[in-house]
Amino acid sequence: MESHNSGIKNPVFRGRAWCFGDDIDTDQIYPGKYLPLTDKVEMAKHAMEGTDRGEEFLKHVQPGDIIVAGKNFGCGSSREHAAIAIKGAGINLVIAESFARIFHRNCVNTALITLELKEAKEINDGDILEVNVDTGEVNNLTQGKRYKAAPLSELEKEIINAGGLLKYLKSAG
Amino acid sequence: MTIIEKIFFRASGKRVKPNEYIWIKLDLVAMRDFGGPNVVQEFKENFGDMPVFDNKKVAITFDLHIPPRDEKVARNQQVLRQFAREKGIRLFDVNTGVGQHILLENGLVKPWDVVVGTDSHMNLLGAIGAAGFGMGTTDIAGALYKGKLWFKVPHTIKIVVNGILKYPITAKDVILYILKNLTTSGALNRAIEFCGETIRMMNLSERITMASMVTEMSGDVGFIEPDETVFEFLRSHNVENIEPISADENAEYERVYEFDITNLRPQIACPHSPDNVVDVAEVAGRKIDQVFIGSCTNGRFEDLKIAAKILEGKRVNENVRLIIVPATHEVAQQAEEAGLYRIFLQSGAVVVNPGCALCTTGHPGILAPGEVMISTSNRNFIGKLGKGGEVYLASPATAAASAVRGMITSPMEFWS
Repeated sequence: MESHNSGIKNPVFRGRAWCFGDDIDTDQIYPGKYLPLTDKVEMAKHAMEGTDRGEEFLKHVQPGDIIVAGKNFGCGSSREHAAIAIKGAGINLVIAESFARIFHRNCVNTALITLELKEAKEINDGDILEVNVDTGEVNNLTQGKRYKAAPLSELEKEIINAGGLLKYLKSAG
Repeated sequence: MTIIEKIFFRASGKRVKPNEYIWIKLDLVAMRDFGGPNVVQEFKENFGDMPVFDNKKVAITFDLHIPPRDEKVARNQQVLRQFAREKGIRLFDVNTGVGQHILLENGLVKPWDVVVGTDSHMNLLGAIGAAGFGMGTTDIAGALYKGKLWFKVPHTIKIVVNGILKYPITAKDVILYILKNLTTSGALNRAIEFCGETIRMMNLSERITMASMVTEMSGDVGFIEPDETVFEFLRSHNVENIEPISADENAEYERVYEFDITNLRPQIACPHSPDNVVDVAEVAGRKIDQVFIGSCTNGRFEDLKIAAKILEGKRVNENVRLIIVPATHEVAQQAEEAGLYRIFLQSGAVVVNPGCALCTTGHPGILAPGEVMISTSNRNFIGKLGKGGEVYLASPATAAASAVRGMITSPMEFWS
């Protein structure tokens, strides 16, 4: 693999936080009625739609914004639409206290970066964050606070650097 | 070693510890009418016309939108039928039922197997000692290509359940009670092993109910050590080379919980979370509009039999729609032969063809805003069955009793 130092390529992300609570399930991230969709651009039009601030999110989300959530983000269904829609909405990074297994896999496999941060709930909506996903440093520029998220595993970094699982598998032969 | 550690040890060829990342060879890769078309799209985009890693180890099931309700769904199913023909993959069409149950009934899964599929409730295969994992479409496309996937080895939680289950208290009441205690994130990224006398005495249907709701605790997979109950089912479904699996005596568990269900009363999960569980008696009398008996959690023959026992000779309340859905064609046949269809139809129930049915919007039976449903399924997330609808989760006994009364009702009332 090309990951000579196993670091994430272009690891620094800077963006505005969109805060959500605990146990945001995949039906809230991507409502079941859109499951038959196979077009990723169409999927992106429904990211976070089922949450209580879905309408606001879809209207105002900007490329580079960061989703911040509580524990067990992405619990529920195996629908990868959830990860694809978030990424399609211009979000490249999701920070949460913890992630549900399948959602987390789907993110790694589609090269959407997730970071686990115990203090995620201290971040306020609209805070500007600067995050180094390689080192796990989270700098809340609005509040002037710094945190350290759990580092990504080597395998996750390799898959993300390859551009997702399928590209990784292809290049691994 | 715990059960998952043993399975991963055998599949990877090396001893594993919790939190390690490893690559595991897969025994079966499944996809279905939901997720499946996206898998085919990913596979073709990335691997073109290449064959799948082993077409004998792949299965396609149609269980969600069956028969298709609109052109988009019909086209999705067509994509899968064509892919199955191209690759020589076994496909179970709209007349078969819930995927995981179909895999079991067709002898495609046995203890020790690692199985992945596009359904978050694949882990119910833990009921027979197999490691089933729900996955997204990229994972499944990768699995089709390579026959292996990456895993993070989970810690294991041991849950010991003691006490004799007495009708109308069922496995569903037990698992809801456990869920109440562990909460929806209580087994986050963990494997579970269920043991104790209650579990040992459960039939396969009850074990499936237990294992399926590990998903609602955010667990990876929930195992029950297979015994003669399971071996007999497997043998009768043409499975050969069955090897028992059990945890080592000195296996390391992250946590151990013990529950005594001797005095357990019927349980119900109130809207909008599967762990919002109380005794049915606490919410008895609440008016309901619809009842659903079915799903991968409670759609087996034994579940339908429990419902029939209550419905026999009675009518569903005039203000309630009762929808009954057998998990599979085999279950439907059993139910028909046992005379359950006659009971259901005479009671005024709507009996639907086998499948997942009311587990997503898009299936007939969606709720209108403000409507309330009791479901034997596994999730009552807000909006899952229609915006503004409310869902309670309960056992087939509680669901049937409530359908008759038109309000949330303890099945104890029908048991003297």
